[in-house]
Amino acid sequence: MTQPLLSIDDLHKSYGSEEVLEGVGLEMDQGDVTVLIGPSGSGKSTLLRCVNRLTEINSGRIALDGEDVTGTDTDVNELRKQVGMVFQDFNLFAHLTALENVTLGPKKVLGMDAADAEAAGRNHLEQVGLLEQADSYPAELSGGQKQRVGIARALAMDPELLLFDEPTSALDPELVGEVVEVMRDLAAEGITMLVVSHEMDFARSAASDIVFLDDGEIVEHGPPEQLFQNPTADRTEQFLSRLHAHEETA
Amino acid sequence: MAAILLQTADWLFVIDNMGLLLGGTAVTVALTVASILLGFAIGFPAGAIEVYGSERASRLVEQVGVVLRGTPLLVIIMILYFGLSISSSAFVTATIALGLRSAAYQSQIFRGALQSVDDGQLEAARAVAMSRLEAIRHVVVPQALRRSVPGFQNEFTIVLKDTSIAIVIGIGELLTTGQNLYEGGQSTAALEIFLAVSLVYFVLTFATNRSLDRLSDYYAVPEGTT
Repeated sequence: MTQPLLSIDDLHKSYGSEEVLEGVGLEMDQGDVTVLIGPSGSGKSTLLRCVNRLTEINSGRIALDGEDVTGTDTDVNELRKQVGMVFQDFNLFAHLTALENVTLGPKKVLGMDAADAEAAGRNHLEQVGLLEQADSYPAELSGGQKQRVGIARALAMDPELLLFDEPTSALDPELVGEVVEVMRDLAAEGITMLVVSHEMDFARSAASDIVFLDDGEIVEHGPPEQLFQNPTADRTEQFLSRLHAHEETA
Repeated sequence: MAAILLQTADWLFVIDNMGLLLGGTAVTVALTVASILLGFAIGFPAGAIEVYGSERASRLVEQVGVVLRGTPLLVIIMILYFGLSISSSAFVTATIALGLRSAAYQSQIFRGALQSVDDGQLEAARAVAMSRLEAIRHVVVPQALRRSVPGFQNEFTIVLKDTSIAIVIGIGELLTTGQNLYEGGQSTAALEIFLAVSLVYFVLTFATNRSLDRLSDYYAVPEGTT
């Protein structure tokens, strides 16, 4: 049996006395696209941020390629070279052009020389359809373009796993499609993705697994067709029908 | 007023002594530049420690800053020169006094600028595997420096004019040189001398502010959401 790329075991996380994650377990194989859904405050983003240790866990175990990455002796920067992240609010480096945003990590962290990093960076911008905007600053880009640069920036580190934290939530509705399209392409290329999103379009068409998180625990976990058509838990069904109603009105 | 200003003899006296005034100007400029640089060398890290340092370090820096900002410059100079005698050179002492006081003010300019950079910037830099120091250096500081230009322009102007206080330890900079010219009884051209001195201060301030504006424009990036 091959080792899962990511394995999360009995993960607990509290903020003060409030327990946000109450024993979460999850496994992902290489090439999996797992979409985390659940009501706001259910712990989805926290779970995501625990994986690259932007948030520290209280107890449990997270292993990447079978190696525990939660210990105090783990080099978080080595971990983050393997695990890229795309943020809800983009967080592009404001003082750098799109291309410079993409090349900063490879140059400063991976020690790539400028010419190589630029050539690779242009490829990544092309991959997200933004080669022509290479010299634009973040403030000159639309929300959808910013997020695509954010994706290119994460890709440029050549990670084993990409985390997406509500990548389309801050976008105007008409800009969601271009970002979803890029994400779908990445999924098709076999990039392993852990995605917090309520973008049902993406979840249905690109996800290998859907995980429904509520109140800090995983309520249901399964392939999209099963979880969306025949949810086993009442809570999942209720959540999905609310989501569906919201989609109809939107 | 017009009659007073048209006293040709007085203006000729100013022109005759332009060499002396320019000598004083050179001292003023040297003192300002040295003090601002010292102030930057200490004030920038101090501001960074206040934002990113441990609680203890940041509190220490903050307290020293409060004392320095709360003490009149005159007192700082006198203590350093006559009290602690940190250097036999009046110029060095004046530079340290002006530099320390400027550091205390500059630290607040940079503290504000660093704090104004959105936390998401640091987090995104950490997420591409930069260490905290690398993230601050490559992502936060370049943005903070751009935002500190207006405050820095203010600080420069203040230091430039405050160099005149160095007379208390015998440094004849621009204002003092001007004062000596009429106090020596050689002339009654006090008003003309002060106008000339003011003009020099104005030219220096104006030129520096414009240069910093240029620098700021050169490095400007479009503002907006990121």
